[in-house]
Amino acid sequence: MAGITAAVELAEAGREVVLVEKEACLGGNVVRMNSYFPKFCPPNCGLEINYRRIRSSRRIRILTQSTVEHIEGVSGDFSVKIKTAPAYINDLCTACGKCAEVCPVERPNAFNYGFGKTKAAYLPHEMTFPFTYVIDGTVCLKEQCGKCVEVCDYNAIDLNAEEETTVLNVERIIIATGWKTFDAKKIKNLCYAAPNVVTNVELERLLAVGGPGEGTLKRPSDHEIPRTIAFVQCAGSRDENYLPYCSAVCCSASLKHALTISERCTDAQISIYYIDLRVSGRNEDLLVKAENNKNIRFIKGKIGRISESDDNHDLEVEAEDILSGRKIKERYDMVVLATGMVPNNPLEGIILTDSEGFLVENQLEGIVTAATCRKPMDVSESVKDATSAAVKSIKTNF
Amino acid sequence: MDRKIGIFICSGCDIGKSIDISRLKAVAEKHGAAFCREHPALCSKNGTDFYYSELENKELHGVVIAACSPRSKAGMFDHDRLLTERVNLREQVSWVMEPGHQDTQSAAEDYLRMGIARVAGSARPVPFRDSYHSSEILVVGAGITGLTAALEADSAGYVVHLVEKADRPGGYASKLAGQIPYKEPFNRIADPVIFKRIEELGTRKNINLYIKTTIATIKGQPGNFEVTLHGAYNGTIRVGAIVTAMGMKPYDPSALSHLGYGRLPGVLTSVEFEELIATRRYSEIPGRVLFIQCADSRDREHLPYCSNTCCGTTLKQATYIREHNPSAEVYIIYKDIRTPGLQEKFYRAVQGDDAIMMTKGAVTGVNPNGNQIDVEVKDSLIDEQIVIPVDMVVLAVGMVPTATEDLNLQYRQGTGLPELKYRFPDSHFICFPYETRRTGIYAAGTIRAPMDIPSCMADASGAVFKAIQCIEAVKRGEAVHPRSGDLSWPELYMDRCTDCKRCTEECPFGSYDENEKGTPIPNPARCRRCGICIGSCPERVISFKDYSINMMTEVIKAVHIPDEFEEKPRILAFVCENDAYPAFDMAGIKRLSISPYVRIIPVRCIGSVNKVWISDALSLGFDGILQIGCKPGEDYQCHYIHGSELTEKRGKNLQETLETMMLEPERIKTVFLEINEYDKIPGIINDYLEEIELIGPNPFKGM
Amino acid sequence: MLRIKPDIRFKKEITRISGSPLGECIQCGNCSAVCSLAPEDRPFPRKEMAWAAWGLKDKLMGNPDIWLCHQCGDCSTYCPRGVRPSDVLAAVRKITIQHYARPGFMGKLLSSPAYLPVAIAIPVVIISVILMMAGTFRIPEGPVNYSKFFPHIWLNTTFTAMTLFFYGMAFIGLRKFWKDMKRIIPAGGRKSTLFKSILQVLKEVFGHSKFSGCKSNKSRNLAHLLTFFGFVLLLLVTLYAIVASITHHYPLSFTNPFKILGNIASLMLYTGITIMIARRLFDRGNAGRSNYDDWLLLISILLLTASGTLVEAARFLEWGWAYHLYFFHLVCVWFLIMYLPYTKLAHIFYRTLAMVYARSVGRL
Repeated sequence: MAGITAAVELAEAGREVVLVEKEACLGGNVVRMNSYFPKFCPPNCGLEINYRRIRSSRRIRILTQSTVEHIEGVSGDFSVKIKTAPAYINDLCTACGKCAEVCPVERPNAFNYGFGKTKAAYLPHEMTFPFTYVIDGTVCLKEQCGKCVEVCDYNAIDLNAEEETTVLNVERIIIATGWKTFDAKKIKNLCYAAPNVVTNVELERLLAVGGPGEGTLKRPSDHEIPRTIAFVQCAGSRDENYLPYCSAVCCSASLKHALTISERCTDAQISIYYIDLRVSGRNEDLLVKAENNKNIRFIKGKIGRISESDDNHDLEVEAEDILSGRKIKERYDMVVLATGMVPNNPLEGIILTDSEGFLVENQLEGIVTAATCRKPMDVSESVKDATSAAVKSIKTNF
Repeated sequence: MDRKIGIFICSGCDIGKSIDISRLKAVAEKHGAAFCREHPALCSKNGTDFYYSELENKELHGVVIAACSPRSKAGMFDHDRLLTERVNLREQVSWVMEPGHQDTQSAAEDYLRMGIARVAGSARPVPFRDSYHSSEILVVGAGITGLTAALEADSAGYVVHLVEKADRPGGYASKLAGQIPYKEPFNRIADPVIFKRIEELGTRKNINLYIKTTIATIKGQPGNFEVTLHGAYNGTIRVGAIVTAMGMKPYDPSALSHLGYGRLPGVLTSVEFEELIATRRYSEIPGRVLFIQCADSRDREHLPYCSNTCCGTTLKQATYIREHNPSAEVYIIYKDIRTPGLQEKFYRAVQGDDAIMMTKGAVTGVNPNGNQIDVEVKDSLIDEQIVIPVDMVVLAVGMVPTATEDLNLQYRQGTGLPELKYRFPDSHFICFPYETRRTGIYAAGTIRAPMDIPSCMADASGAVFKAIQCIEAVKRGEAVHPRSGDLSWPELYMDRCTDCKRCTEECPFGSYDENEKGTPIPNPARCRRCGICIGSCPERVISFKDYSINMMTEVIKAVHIPDEFEEKPRILAFVCENDAYPAFDMAGIKRLSISPYVRIIPVRCIGSVNKVWISDALSLGFDGILQIGCKPGEDYQCHYIHGSELTEKRGKNLQETLETMMLEPERIKTVFLEINEYDKIPGIINDYLEEIELIGPNPFKGM
Repeated sequence: MLRIKPDIRFKKEITRISGSPLGECIQCGNCSAVCSLAPEDRPFPRKEMAWAAWGLKDKLMGNPDIWLCHQCGDCSTYCPRGVRPSDVLAAVRKITIQHYARPGFMGKLLSSPAYLPVAIAIPVVIISVILMMAGTFRIPEGPVNYSKFFPHIWLNTTFTAMTLFFYGMAFIGLRKFWKDMKRIIPAGGRKSTLFKSILQVLKEVFGHSKFSGCKSNKSRNLAHLLTFFGFVLLLLVTLYAIVASITHHYPLSFTNPFKILGNIASLMLYTGITIMIARRLFDRGNAGRSNYDDWLLLISILLLTASGTLVEAARFLEWGWAYHLYFFHLVCVWFLIMYLPYTKLAHIFYRTLAMVYARSVGRL
């Protein structure tokens, strides 16, 4: 979101922009979200506007499936080496879908965090931008199969495509590499290995129309609709053993999730276990809304342990309900871990970070960092930060 | 047909298998196309070569490309001389309707005719240019936000006018003793960045600072605002865009007497306490100080929102107390400690001080006890009910945004920025936080939302960038967000205007001013090109070169209505091009089945639908009209703020029209659809078809 | 309504002893949640952490909950702030022992290495005085016979009297402790009779059941088990020895079953103490913080066992300095038995009482 924002804003201010993205489609974590807080609106709405802005601008060049290998030079004259994964499907693709129809290989649906499957030739998602199919080179049988090449009427597929390296000459660099979710497997005691313990980002897909439940939240183990759900705040965040900082968005995200689930499934009982409820500014309204919802319960107390029942994959959580002064053990159909943000650094060694791995403000002159790779923040803040990075990148007196 | 139109039909992606292209070509020729070409893959290299070579040396008005959605292969068929119109045969017909069926064929033919009508009814837009264009920027308020905005604008090479009502720049940030740490090391209070910024200001030649000055009036439009200043400097300047950084004021503590304010001498606000430290009056700080967090914030009676900075401020002030009095004890009573991000480390560092003690709890009483103050707290982490005897109580007070009325905008819709909630300016604050409802005027800093200093600085930079972008766009005669790059703009045929004021009232962006008689005065550079004024005008006064009442009437007329004996109803769906149209595309990509009885017309905003279009459609024999827009209300999703809300409001008016036509109220239906809800589309249409079936065919059919 | 008067010195004292940054606790309750011993109602140690952070000495001193903790360290392992609640409770326990020490200076005497020479001098002087009074304060001639050095009658009477004195004093402190427990954790929920509670607690103590629930520290369970039963056996052997010294021939022969039992007990103690010392030296993360009182206890047990073994060996091998060893051994005995109410070993009393109380008010 931040990268797209910086790119379109700069292009509309008359600058030439190259947008480098490691995935096959734009939108990063945001495009995977079911909705935004506090408005419960779908990210695709704002993204669609931005895609349109990209489409109508002739100043943006997009390099997907590409990563930055090296940066050299000085502000005003950077040389950036970019590696692009083999383009098995090129931009002649019309997204007609024939290749996927005949493709014999399946792979986990990465866009849905591994829930469900796609063919090796697949459309990343319905709103994918750029709007083309992609072939997963790690599972494609290539010349042993070649069925997709046969059916493609548009010469869009080349299974012998090779990785490409491009060297770009640019004046300024904006880094908006964002975040990845904290690896919940590392958290002891929270039983992430159990199928019905999911992270908050996975929940976004479980709730999404394009997700495995096609808009109906079903728990992964048996595809039943969960009636009791626990949210574990600070799963990894604010924890010396994992992330010592607060990820700033998880409380609001869980409130959004709880309210969404409660609206869709009016008899679902939801419990939110928290240390401090951290929602900023007028997102407070969300908290009030949730507090007034009789099916949403707040328990001050970090969950100490989650265990899976042997019979039906239900979960038992243990915590101290601090405000009532009791230790509780409760059973849930599903548990959501509010995992935090870990910054992505595109080029370790060249891009400087603080002790937690966040990219610091003072980089090599001419390199500007933006949004969640810089510090944890929500989408609105990221957009703002990206716009701010845009103005920093057009400074004349660097 | 007097306007020559070329037509290209792509038969790729199953279009050719689903639709009889030869019959489609016949339709094109019947409608006077200059030529009609078919290609198996128009987007291929061979296809585009074919396309451009066919257009060479041809005198045409425009081109219709009947292929896939305009969202696909965008820009591929753009032409610098010709109007181009995409007819979406793939996502809207062949992927969602039964291949080879007569109804599918009819749909394709209708869409082609509609496309031709659309081009025929449009003209190439001519960019709007005002009589004068300024590239200078006005920044209102020289606090941390305003200063940052001014410095960034200057760095980017723009001349800035920085207006400050106080006698020096710096604002509230310059009154702080220190700043909450925002980078490593987080265990130390940071030096206020504001002083460096003030210093920098002195070195910049392109920033004109006006202290002790306020804004008397702002007139005009982006690219050409006329700003009259009043105070130490009196005069008029012209600027291209405006950044408002008027900041906040602390909440009025007189409403906090229940917490002892004004009642007990030892109770003061965090702002007053900050002043004690900043002015080094340490001796006035006694040995035991208690902080009450959220004294006003997160309270429906006072400030319903979280002010975001109070927790950090209290931690900072507690640190100061301890630094200057090693025997002092500090207590903090909070609802939740909110130190987001890496500020958590500051929280931890402060906790490390043995004499700073914190507990969650609710303060139930602040009472005098001799020279001391007894603070009663319930539901603390220590016990159900506790009393803490202290010498001083500090109330952590929150932020109230400064009223933007002080901008004195000479706009018909008011002198300030329209607000959304809690006096914060209205905008799409998630995706497009800078877009206020006053084009070219960008709000930044605490006026927009409660935020800390680093956040204000980022906000200022972002806002100033949007200001620069606006200046550049207006210079090129282009619209700004969300139809950025659009060269069309509203033109008024004043002879027909009845001064009804609907356009001046309903424009979400205050584009129209009024003269004394109430006649609208357009300001095209303020316009976002949503077309809501077209929807509001009862007299066909307003039109864009490529979007007008007449053009749309022709598009509607292009649909062939089967007579009632065929028992094939026709529904006309006006769909918002921003959200509903992409949702229809996704339904197509998912190969959902959509009734062939519906005809889709994309509109700039559902609020731009004019009553005439609906009455025309109904008199032509359409059995029902669907209006599909974005969600209205507090959490509106309409990109033009209240387009869909207006549609709802206008519904009543439309019902009267239906009555005069002796038609059933069900003939018009409004639906709000989110972009992701593509899965609901078949149901919405089928349900409506069932409703229509119940009331029977439109009696106007065939008349 | 509770009036809050934070005792910052007390807070600092806990911080000093525990080495835990207890102020950094964010009251998340994770510690109570992971604790396998915390009761459902008002669980520990989260609330104790709050009281400690606010320096509320009154709330902590007579708090039975701090004794229900067996310091397994689960709470510290999972603490998100690295605050180590188990060490904080251990520090509070240490301060509690000093707090209820009667006479008060004795608590202080054994709390700091600075007073160690005095703590050693007391038994040395007192034993010397007894020996002088018995008229045996010299190295006896002939084969090693410790009763020639310290006649049994003198040993049994004086040591019993001293023990009674110190334990009588301890009783006064413990009575106050019991009263405070009633104030701080009033009865709630189901109750049980005192007799039943005592039986239950004894069963737990001998079964070591509270240790086995801990997940972070398995080796500790074994170490404590060995040490505990080593002591129990030695106590039995000592009692038999006293009886034997009065009724029939003493010293016991090597083949005497009690003698064998005594040696087995020593072996158990060696093993137990070695594990404990090794854990404190090499597994600091899990063992928790080691303080003077921890080392004092471990080393005095080690020295007691070692000197006991050497005394035994000296008798059989006729070592020249057998009597010096014997004297040293008696000082060690003093440290463990007389000083028991003031050292970490006082947990025998406090923990047992707290567990009985907790049972009687339905907290266990």
